[in-house]
Amino acid sequence: MSGAQAKQEPSPRAHELVNSLNSTFGQMVSVTVLRPNRIRVQTDRANLRALATFARDMLHFDHCTNVSGTDFPKDKQIQIDYHLGSIDGEDLRSVILGLTCRVPSDDAKLPSLIEIFPSVDLHERETYEMLGVTFEGHPELARLLLPEDWSDIPPMLKAYRLPGRLEGE
Amino acid sequence: MSMPLASSGLQTAQVAEDKLVVSIGPQHPGAGHFRFTITVDGDTIVDVAPDPGYVHRGAEKQTEYRTYLQSIPMLERSSLTDVTNIIGPYSLAAEELMGIEIPPRGQYLRMIMSENQRIMSHLYWLGIQGIFLGHSTMFMWPLGDRDIFVDLGQMIGGARITYSYWIPGGVRNDMPESFKPRALKVFDYFETRLKDYERIFFQNPLFLKRTEDVGVLRREDAIKLGVVGPVLRGSDVKSDTRIDEPYCFYKDLDFEVPSYKECDTYARCMVHLVEMRQSMRIIRQCLEKMPLGPVRVKLSPQQRTNPGEAYARVEAARGAMSFHIISDGSTKPYRVRISVPSMRNLIVLKKLLIGSHVADMPAIYWSLDYWPVEADK
Amino acid sequence: MAELVTFEQFVVRILKIVFWILIILPLIILPIFYLAYVLPVEFVCGFNALTCSTHINWAFAINMFNPEQMDPFSSTSMLSQMGLGASGVLFKSSTFPGLTFAAVLSSFVIWYERKLLAKMQYRVGPLYAGRVGGIFQSFADLFKLLFKEIVIPAKADALMFLAPPFAMMALSGALLAIIPIGSTTYIAQSPYSLLIAIAILSFFPMVTLLAGWASNNKFSFIGAIRALYQMISYEIPLLLSVLGVVILTRSLNLSVIAESQTKIWYIAPMILGAVVFYLTAMAELERIPFDLPEADSELVAGWLTEYTSMVFGVLNLAVYIKLYALSALFTILFLGGWLGPPGLPDFVWFLIKTAIVLTIFIIPRGFSPRIRIDQLIGFGWLWLVGLTFVNIFIAFMLSASGLL
Repeated sequence: MSGAQAKQEPSPRAHELVNSLNSTFGQMVSVTVLRPNRIRVQTDRANLRALATFARDMLHFDHCTNVSGTDFPKDKQIQIDYHLGSIDGEDLRSVILGLTCRVPSDDAKLPSLIEIFPSVDLHERETYEMLGVTFEGHPELARLLLPEDWSDIPPMLKAYRLPGRLEGE
Repeated sequence: MSMPLASSGLQTAQVAEDKLVVSIGPQHPGAGHFRFTITVDGDTIVDVAPDPGYVHRGAEKQTEYRTYLQSIPMLERSSLTDVTNIIGPYSLAAEELMGIEIPPRGQYLRMIMSENQRIMSHLYWLGIQGIFLGHSTMFMWPLGDRDIFVDLGQMIGGARITYSYWIPGGVRNDMPESFKPRALKVFDYFETRLKDYERIFFQNPLFLKRTEDVGVLRREDAIKLGVVGPVLRGSDVKSDTRIDEPYCFYKDLDFEVPSYKECDTYARCMVHLVEMRQSMRIIRQCLEKMPLGPVRVKLSPQQRTNPGEAYARVEAARGAMSFHIISDGSTKPYRVRISVPSMRNLIVLKKLLIGSHVADMPAIYWSLDYWPVEADK
Repeated sequence: MAELVTFEQFVVRILKIVFWILIILPLIILPIFYLAYVLPVEFVCGFNALTCSTHINWAFAINMFNPEQMDPFSSTSMLSQMGLGASGVLFKSSTFPGLTFAAVLSSFVIWYERKLLAKMQYRVGPLYAGRVGGIFQSFADLFKLLFKEIVIPAKADALMFLAPPFAMMALSGALLAIIPIGSTTYIAQSPYSLLIAIAILSFFPMVTLLAGWASNNKFSFIGAIRALYQMISYEIPLLLSVLGVVILTRSLNLSVIAESQTKIWYIAPMILGAVVFYLTAMAELERIPFDLPEADSELVAGWLTEYTSMVFGVLNLAVYIKLYALSALFTILFLGGWLGPPGLPDFVWFLIKTAIVLTIFIIPRGFSPRIRIDQLIGFGWLWLVGLTFVNIFIAFMLSASGLL
């Protein structure tokens, strides 16, 4: 779906990043430049940890700003986006590197990035309870925002409809 | 007649652990709508378990049912002290998907409102920090002065708190003629007040005793844990989205970003103080440079976007606020993900509280700029 | 109200308000009690029980140690021996200068504190109860509290939970009894009255601990433990700080101490002792910046958390009576007690001085944050105890050189 967006020319610094990613991972990733400073790297869950480690050690992205999960019921897939930012990386403060990974809905498991980026802690917990995605290796994958007695399906799945709302409203 | 305890047949046994588990919140004057359980050993905190979620309203889910414009009043309820800035990244991301350009006067009005909101939020913060330290005058003065900035916001936005001012396409309406003289007068007044604050509150020896070397967050930890806003700048990092990735016309303006090497609670307090001054400086420059012209692009209520995704961020009062919007091209967003500064700063609460005194708990907790409603969304 | 621009203007404004309140407070309220004092109050009472109960009055009990020190007031007339009449023990201990007087004065002190604090913070404070500036706000609060339900926590020990308010009131009353407010206006006299006052003060931590423990609440318990720490570690500097005055007067009798300051008030030579007494009294009273046992942002309301209704009101009132008693003690020890220019009754001078001391006790609440427990105890043991020794040394030097 996101692929439909028109490609843009990256900023010079982002261009280096794209080249570096392409030369290291080659066919394992597909790199898209959404805006001059927004790079999206799509990969599969087997390569996620390697990609994140590379982003931290070689590309100097030192923290994670956001983890968002999106349900695509038509594809029977859930998409997880890690948005990485950098403070110490040279000229990298304006760049956001998005690591995108799609997992099948019936086997929603993903390696946790908490050892690589400690800042994903609460974001991963939230994604776990909101979409039912299990992050393997997360030390405290417990409920965060939902009530203790929540017994419905994870609410951010498209199958969950808010009570009192009509279909399609 | 003294007899040793053991020979008298008495035996000692430990009946309970020395540690005491105290639940702070959600109904506690020091916690707001937030609960955390602390385990104390004497006067030292040995364990902390934060438990947010008491005011979760499902803002992300509710955006699925609303068009881009309808979501705005609902989203700004998440962060009532900082309503303009929480709508900022949402609008920027939506505009990016819609592919529209905002007229310059609209951009300037956005900056004015955003900075005004920052001052209001910081004053509120300062007041609560004061009452958390037991300083009631430090609570009353900033909250009294906040009111004149609420009045300023009301002159532009119409409402006192929830303006729904910054919207996709520009801003809702132009500002009145009388705003500029009134604002300049208010700033002149408030600059003298800020000097008073600095002299009376910030140089108070007891205030220094309570905040210096309390809750020290080192630079490398701050970066690794991804904290934002005044917490990050208090930890010796000169990072601000307004400079790192300027939106609106911030790159044309002249202002400073404070940062302090002490990395403690006092540094975080000083960041707030300096930022209020800089915000007034920004508004003064905006009022000077503002061109005439339209303030917004008229959008249809059922405005459609291009399919795709956008990730936008602004510097809200509490730090970088970012929205990730995925659109399927319909009138409603497919997925809106809000990454709020409160949630990103919560991660260091545990790190800072463990090993500190019980009495430092409110000071550290509030210095993290944590706003439960914003974090719970 | 004109906009205040500078801090200096603000201070001037505050001082003006303080001045006027200090003038008005004694002029309006105190004559009422003066009238009550001079008016003869006759009890037509034939119950032996009442007579008996006054004979085992605690004022007698204090003096029972030493029959020679029995006071003149108990043997002047039959009426007053029975504790009746305007100069009798019953009137003195219950009405003036005893508990009722102190309670009414304390309720005005509460109003005064709120009003003063409000002015410091650019607020109006109490406004509606009473014609002038909400002066009857405390009485309105009293009636509100009287109509509230008394909630006793389910797992609290009801007897022990309800005992502290009464114990607190009794202790505050006992403290009042030993403090003379005029050369002839006193409830009980004793050659050891200063020692008795200090001894009564050391009972307060136990009551506080009992209140916190019986509440069966963690916040109450932590608050009570803090209060215990604070009061016990500040009792020693309190005792040491008055020692300088005792050395100079060679007496433990508060009346003698007050009367002996005709030449010079002891605040001048004993300034260190006065400062230490002031700080320790603030800590004993749990006032900001030493209000850690009631720190609301961490401990809700400390050891007062579970108390509701008039039970809370009584506790609060007892704390304010204690505030008045300690201010009175400060006045006697360092400000010459009731000594003053002739023209007014001596206790009026005493009350004017006490009002000034009260104001000094209240004002830090406007500009000071709360101190931390480790800093508090370190400050007490290191600085205050050290200063008191310097003070005692000065007292010895003055006494030995024959200057005072």
